[in-house]
Amino acid sequence: MKNFEYLEPTSIAEACALLKQNGDEAKIFAGGAHLTILMKQGLYQPRALINIKKIAELKGIRCSDAELSIGALVTHRELETSALVRDKFPVLCEAEREVANIRVRHMGTVGGNLASGEPLTDLSQIFIALDGKVKITGPNGERTIPVQELFLDFYTTSLADDEIITEVMIPLLPKKSGIEYLRFSSSSVVDKPAVGVAVRLTLESRNEMIELARVVLGCVGATPVRARRAEEILTGKRLSLDSAVEAGKAASQECDPISDLRGSADYKRAIVGTLVRRAAVKAYERAMRN
Amino acid sequence: MKKTISLTVNGVERTAEVEPRLTLLDLVREHFGLTGAKLGCDVQVCGACTLLVNGKPISACSMLAVDADGCEVVTIEGLSEQNKLHPVQEAFVEFGALQCGYCTSGFILTAKALLDETPHPSEQQIRDYLAGNFCRCGCYQEIIQAIKNVGSEA
Repeated sequence: MKNFEYLEPTSIAEACALLKQNGDEAKIFAGGAHLTILMKQGLYQPRALINIKKIAELKGIRCSDAELSIGALVTHRELETSALVRDKFPVLCEAEREVANIRVRHMGTVGGNLASGEPLTDLSQIFIALDGKVKITGPNGERTIPVQELFLDFYTTSLADDEIITEVMIPLLPKKSGIEYLRFSSSSVVDKPAVGVAVRLTLESRNEMIELARVVLGCVGATPVRARRAEEILTGKRLSLDSAVEAGKAASQECDPISDLRGSADYKRAIVGTLVRRAAVKAYERAMRN
Repeated sequence: MKKTISLTVNGVERTAEVEPRLTLLDLVREHFGLTGAKLGCDVQVCGACTLLVNGKPISACSMLAVDADGCEVVTIEGLSEQNKLHPVQEAFVEFGALQCGYCTSGFILTAKALLDETPHPSEQQIRDYLAGNFCRCGCYQEIIQAIKNVGSEA
């Protein structure tokens, strides 16, 4: 690893100022789970790392009447074990149980996970399916964008060089909503996912027709994608096994997987189809109960 | 460029002057001579370099030493008291839960963290918590039995 300067701001404003000073030669350092690997491999050689772990405002999970707010420094393990998250969005706790391994979950943060733009990950699909937003602070103030708009390409986000993710906000689900996240690892359980699918359904209040559907596919393209055609197929009717199968088929054509050590592109498309069907059935069951 | 850090290692206050690029694993091995933790995969996958930082298992190969400033670090050398082994160490001996021993310090520290959190874990909880520690000698059955045994004691 090449040497670098290690800076430790104590406020978001100070961190943004340091980023601005250093241009694209500095990088925000939170858990370090992703960054230290890139640096050891020489893929990234920053002049400075800006450790943000001393910034208290970036910590903690809170909940208002309207939304759950997850600070950028919240670790995977905190999310996995939070009673508040388990109460509001148990799907996040369940998904986190399978993220990497216990050590990475203790080190890695939610903000870092998103900012890395890593395509083989889990949280972003779930956040997008829940219409989550991400709050970003830069030298000129704050902006809030849908999580979807954070991702531009492989390892590329819409964050400017001098901006920091400060929190993720997830609106509480309306009644009669259900979500399921399914991931598939083709080698070991602690491997990155080969495919990760989130399906979230909200039903009309008086009957069991699907009013709103989100089908989000991860790991099968440069960024997580919404399978719009699959969403259309599910919307406006009760779920049947046929419509779930059809949505799965549509979704498998709405992604762009690459062939790699985790499976061929065709194989991953087939997995997408199956996971969308299974997740839709589960999400519907949950929506009926809520 | 060097930074002065102070941390507790196995209960002892230590300070060190380190370059920011130094990993926590190199700090404990090279500076403090605590060589129980090993470098394995170097990418947080195998668990051979596991240390406990503030009671939680982390991959020391990928944690910066400067990042451990102010933290409490426990290595395998800190588990036994005088000449008495930690119960998990005893159990590993009793059940023959190792062959070459390269992964052992990581397994034992991870098991300790689990037992501190969950004193009586189910086999599934043990398997889940230790899923990210690899033993290429293949002692998994014995390792799980050993930890189960400690966890079943009152």
